[in-house]
Amino acid sequence: MKRAFLLVFVCLIFSKVKADSSVKCPDEVFLRRAYLTVTGALPTPPQCVEFLDDNNPNKREQLIDHLITSELGLKYMQMRWGDILRIKSEFPSNLWPNGVQAYNRWIYEQLMNNVPYDKMVRGLLLSAGSNFRAPAANFYRGFQKRSAKNFYDNINLLFLGNRECTDNGHICFSQIKFKSTKEWKEEIVYLDIHKRVPQLEVELDDTTILKLRADSDWRETYVNWLTSSDNRRFAEVMANRMWFWVFGRGIVHEPDDWRYDNKPSNPELLNELTDYFIASKFDMRALLKRILMSEQFNSADGFTPQRLPAEVIVDAIASVTGIWSTYTSRVPEPFTVYPPRTRSTHLGDATVSSSELELFGKVSRDVSLESQRNNSITSRQLLYLMNSSVLESRIRKSPILQRIYVNSANIEQLASSITLLVLSRRATKQEVAMYSDYMAKNNLPLIEVAIDIMWMQINSNEFLYNH
Amino acid sequence: MRRVFLTIIALATICFSGYAQRAKSVILVYLDGGPAQTDTFDPKPEMGRNYHGNFKGVCKTNVEGIEIGEKLPLLAGMADKYSLIRSLTHGSNAHETGHYAMITGDTSGGAVVYPSFGAVISYMKRDTYKGILPCYISVTSANSRFNEGGFLGNQYKSFDTGGKPESSEYEVEGIVNKHIDRQRMDSRMALLDDFEGKEQGDKSIDSLRKVNMEFIWGDSREVFNLKNEPDSVRQRYGKSRLGQSCLVARRLVEAGVPFVNVRTTGWDTHKKHFSKMNTMLPDLDRALSALIADLDSRGLLDSTIILCGGEFGRSPKVLWEAPWNGGRAHFGAAFSYLVAGGGFQGGKVLGATDKTGEKVAQRPVSPCDLIGTVYLLMGIDPYGTLPHVSEGELPILPSLLDSKKSHGLLYEIIDVKKPDHEK
Repeated sequence: MKRAFLLVFVCLIFSKVKADSSVKCPDEVFLRRAYLTVTGALPTPPQCVEFLDDNNPNKREQLIDHLITSELGLKYMQMRWGDILRIKSEFPSNLWPNGVQAYNRWIYEQLMNNVPYDKMVRGLLLSAGSNFRAPAANFYRGFQKRSAKNFYDNINLLFLGNRECTDNGHICFSQIKFKSTKEWKEEIVYLDIHKRVPQLEVELDDTTILKLRADSDWRETYVNWLTSSDNRRFAEVMANRMWFWVFGRGIVHEPDDWRYDNKPSNPELLNELTDYFIASKFDMRALLKRILMSEQFNSADGFTPQRLPAEVIVDAIASVTGIWSTYTSRVPEPFTVYPPRTRSTHLGDATVSSSELELFGKVSRDVSLESQRNNSITSRQLLYLMNSSVLESRIRKSPILQRIYVNSANIEQLASSITLLVLSRRATKQEVAMYSDYMAKNNLPLIEVAIDIMWMQINSNEFLYNH
Repeated sequence: MRRVFLTIIALATICFSGYAQRAKSVILVYLDGGPAQTDTFDPKPEMGRNYHGNFKGVCKTNVEGIEIGEKLPLLAGMADKYSLIRSLTHGSNAHETGHYAMITGDTSGGAVVYPSFGAVISYMKRDTYKGILPCYISVTSANSRFNEGGFLGNQYKSFDTGGKPESSEYEVEGIVNKHIDRQRMDSRMALLDDFEGKEQGDKSIDSLRKVNMEFIWGDSREVFNLKNEPDSVRQRYGKSRLGQSCLVARRLVEAGVPFVNVRTTGWDTHKKHFSKMNTMLPDLDRALSALIADLDSRGLLDSTIILCGGEFGRSPKVLWEAPWNGGRAHFGAAFSYLVAGGGFQGGKVLGATDKTGEKVAQRPVSPCDLIGTVYLLMGIDPYGTLPHVSEGELPILPSLLDSKKSHGLLYEIIDVKKPDHEK
């Protein structure tokens, strides 16, 4: 298995050999890949054993169905939305903790109920009311610079992949106003629908003319055009973004840069996905499943290894050692104390962070660009993995490792259990022999060998990458 | 194309308009939470107890006409080594926006998040700095209230040492780990090599690991080893977190690190202000005076900028009422910074507040003016540009170009003459 991983790694990253995606990846590879991609979490050892020992020919599809609708799967999808919607208590979004919680809850409900993409976007863009009571209104509150132009630029970036707007569509967002209430940090987004402008016709870049009616919500005219199934770009951008979320590289890449000269690498694939997405009436869950069932996602060497995102690495280390960071936000008020064992993928607020999350490149949510997430590996990150006293003491104090040690009669059992825990697969015979040699050569007690094996596996590329 | 063109202009500006590098390093002693300027560098003894609170005295300094707070006698004895800015102002009373202003020189409310000045210096020195240690180091951690790397990206953020410099064993994240000796680390690395396979492993990650091994076991380790310092020196800085962090900062500057952020917390004293200041101010006095004197005696003060202050000051008027019972609130309208070394002159006071200390009375100084001056002394064009991923080249300090926001670089207190074209 290790060999297969390394070959993939070498081929794709270093030789840039065109992959042949017809060979199916082994179950253990699929299992880890599916868990990490859909939930941002490693499978637990019992989950590994159950899946690997399952003889059902449809087990991959069953697993996908389960993961997509699981709480972990929904929360991880919520994090991706939080990144591009810039959900954050403090600077620069300044949503404030209550607003952040309400907004996250709203997104989670959309995903849980599998609200179609067009409806979800309508909900965001046509929102109004209190930031606490009408959570989607936080869409407009989360801009440091509150101008119709800035709202419009961001809407173009998010839903059309357009980084430069030259038309006057922002007029449709010029009725938006804000007022505060007597409640601490409550704010109302409302519309000044009696606003007058000299022209009630807006021509968009694609020559569409939007006719705005006096005394009405002009956003609606724009959003009707935007979310219509005739507006193919709207569907394409989401289909491509979902592909990007799975593979780390869009068919159009960057996924939010649809300049005319930035062509899709595989136009047929993009068309097929877009058609499917439109035909499904913008069913995001179906779109994700379609991608996960694709030959490429299931192939032995068609999946380019991706370094685990910051939150996923930090949670993976916490879950294998059993020692979790505690997250708090002491400022701004009200203070937020997250329950013990909260996953960092579930924090929901970019203001809450830790040195480790910063080191591995947690998204700060300053901008809506996907490129804000940098998953390349740096020497500083390797330095932490190799020689951090914090990581070292987590391994040494790990209750899970202690349990494995107590329950292992010999090095074979020990190595098998650690490998299943950390790498989500069974150890090979060669590996067990290697660990035995290591113990003999270095004359170390079994517990110290256990610590070194866990350290080594956490440092391995096999652990650090989704492959 | 546009970017290339602007880069050429930027390079040309650096080459031809004479921004010679005056300082090699910056040490920012950051008093996180906001220190009270009236209890430190801008005392108002004549204003009565509602303003000076429990600290009615002052220290006369060794410079005629300059007085500082009564809790800073050691700093008072060396005022010829530093200058005071008493007229900093950004008007923000919120931690995150005040912090953003003081650390980036930008004003909040724009569409772009700027990098901290440590990150900018780290970016600007990326090709010329050849040291083994990271270019921008925080002892022991940076403030993560906003994205320090800004639009430059994560790689320019500070390296946080973590650990406890005041303890007997200062463990530095990734560098000093007391559990593991060289032999054990070598065994582990050999195991990793065996596991990944010599032929097939990822060569680039492999070589980064090898470089890290040299880094961990080489000279860098000794830079952080405070046991290399005589006990008298450690005592002089004070055995507190702040004192020993300042000592680490001096050692880092000696090793050539361009930007060191010594961040000390606890200055957000809404309540129990005076009792907290009774211990925190002597600690600061000892650490900062030792740092300045030590750098000076080693001939490093001339090439090292020291800055000391927070994200804002505190209200000159004491809040005696409940629930504060003798506290001071956030205050961004007028506050102070201490500056020393690296081209900053000593023995001067720039700007002044009014009688109560609540308003700037003379020579307002914006955060961009202070940070722009630091850039200038570090050989970085304060009117240059930085690359933004989607916006092209942006001014390094946009506020400096806006006469409503900037009051001019601090030529009054530096060794660099104002160029004719700026007069």
